[in-house]
Amino acid sequence: MKLFDSIKKDFSTITWVLMVVAIAINVVMGEIVVLLKLPIYLDSIGTVLVAVTCGPWAGALTGALSNTIWGLLIDPNALPWWPVALFIGFVAGWCAIGGLFKSWWKVVIAGFLIALTAATVSTPIAVYIYGGITASGSSFITAYLLQTGQGVLQAVFSTNFLVEPVDKISTSLLAFAIIQGLSGRFLARFPRPENVEVDKTAGRTQVLIAIGIVIVLVLIAAFVLTKILTQ
Amino acid sequence: MHERLSFYVKRDSFLHRLNPLTKLTLAFGLIFIAFFSPWYWAPQILFLLAIIPLSFLGKVHREYFSAAFRLILPAAGFLFLMQAFFQPIGAKAIFKFWFLDITPESLMFAFTNASRIFVMVSSFTILLLTTHPSDLMSDLTRRGLPSQFAYVIISTIQIIPQMQAKAQTIIAAQRSRGLDTQGSFLKRIGALVPLVGPLVFGSLVEVEERAIAIEARGFTSTRVKTSLREIPDTSFDKILRWFLILLIIAVIAARIWL
Repeated sequence: MKLFDSIKKDFSTITWVLMVVAIAINVVMGEIVVLLKLPIYLDSIGTVLVAVTCGPWAGALTGALSNTIWGLLIDPNALPWWPVALFIGFVAGWCAIGGLFKSWWKVVIAGFLIALTAATVSTPIAVYIYGGITASGSSFITAYLLQTGQGVLQAVFSTNFLVEPVDKISTSLLAFAIIQGLSGRFLARFPRPENVEVDKTAGRTQVLIAIGIVIVLVLIAAFVLTKILTQ
Repeated sequence: MHERLSFYVKRDSFLHRLNPLTKLTLAFGLIFIAFFSPWYWAPQILFLLAIIPLSFLGKVHREYFSAAFRLILPAAGFLFLMQAFFQPIGAKAIFKFWFLDITPESLMFAFTNASRIFVMVSSFTILLLTTHPSDLMSDLTRRGLPSQFAYVIISTIQIIPQMQAKAQTIIAAQRSRGLDTQGSFLKRIGALVPLVGPLVFGSLVEVEERAIAIEARGFTSTRVKTSLREIPDTSFDKILRWFLILLIIAVIAARIWL
């Protein structure tokens, strides 16, 4: 019952209220990005915010409800993807508990982990519901890979693997920047304020480490992709 | 000005009088049959024999058809085109463009998929046209859904239009100060910060006040709450729900054994 109690502790009144605002932030951010014609989604900032300040279970619930409400009221194509949003919130929450939301370069790693999860979870959905080709623009890459003779699973996963990291790393960085801008007094009202106590290292070194990690991650990603594609 | 984000049309019809849970089961039943039925023409037949009669039965056919033509048909049509071009199944191409080709098989596949999505969205549209969100939520809460879920869903429906209006105001304000939202790629990325900042911080400030307000109104109380809305649940509703559940099971069974 220890697990149950700890979950219950995460769902205080302020968590439920933050959830409402977070879902609205998800939706409106998604629209602002479309308005600015940027090639990313950024539609899980609210989910990451809840996950970091209120724990993985609250984050998962926010993600799932966010896609359900979005799908029912605005864009029905968002509906089948609720498990992806659920896992984004869940993984972001565990990253935060593991201390990955305490400085810039760690947030980049968290974003990458979230992206990996999102790519993995969305692959079977894209394959079984849409036959690999969804209504999003990145399906051009999938279609190209399919024409070169790749299997559906590999083609979809490689596409997701190319698209997700950029989106999820920027999402996590923006969420982190927002949390940095909030006062300690405000954050202390949430169930997990200890997740966001910032490391006290110099800003310059942090940025350098962040850039280094991005390069290493890109190299790893390229390596894994060539492995998948040559199979 | 701050409208609720709701499709609900207040009318007096057979569909409006049904219990919200029955309508929810009906919507999910139609979706299940469209997606899991082993017969190729099932989604199209469902559209002709279930969706259209239901929209007339609920007296919302005018609203439904306008939504179908403006929103659902374009989305399904786009999906159809993407799938028809991009699916690599089938050998004999009947139309070729660059590395893309259309085969009879990919056309069939695209048509099924687009019709399934069409039926899914249509059944939800009819549900939302004939059911008030508060009715649905209070009925589900009465049946044991935690009231916090109902709070999240209902408040989100209210808050999204407010937030959209706020975003419009912020965009207009920042543009009038010379913010470039249509320039080069880097400029547009740069425009993200002055738009997101005020919006997110502004709405987060309200969180604390809202939490105190609902706590003062007994949000965390575990007592059984009385409801202002009385929602009838007739025996006809119960029979219809069981019938729909049996139908879903039958379709899944047919899918497995046929």
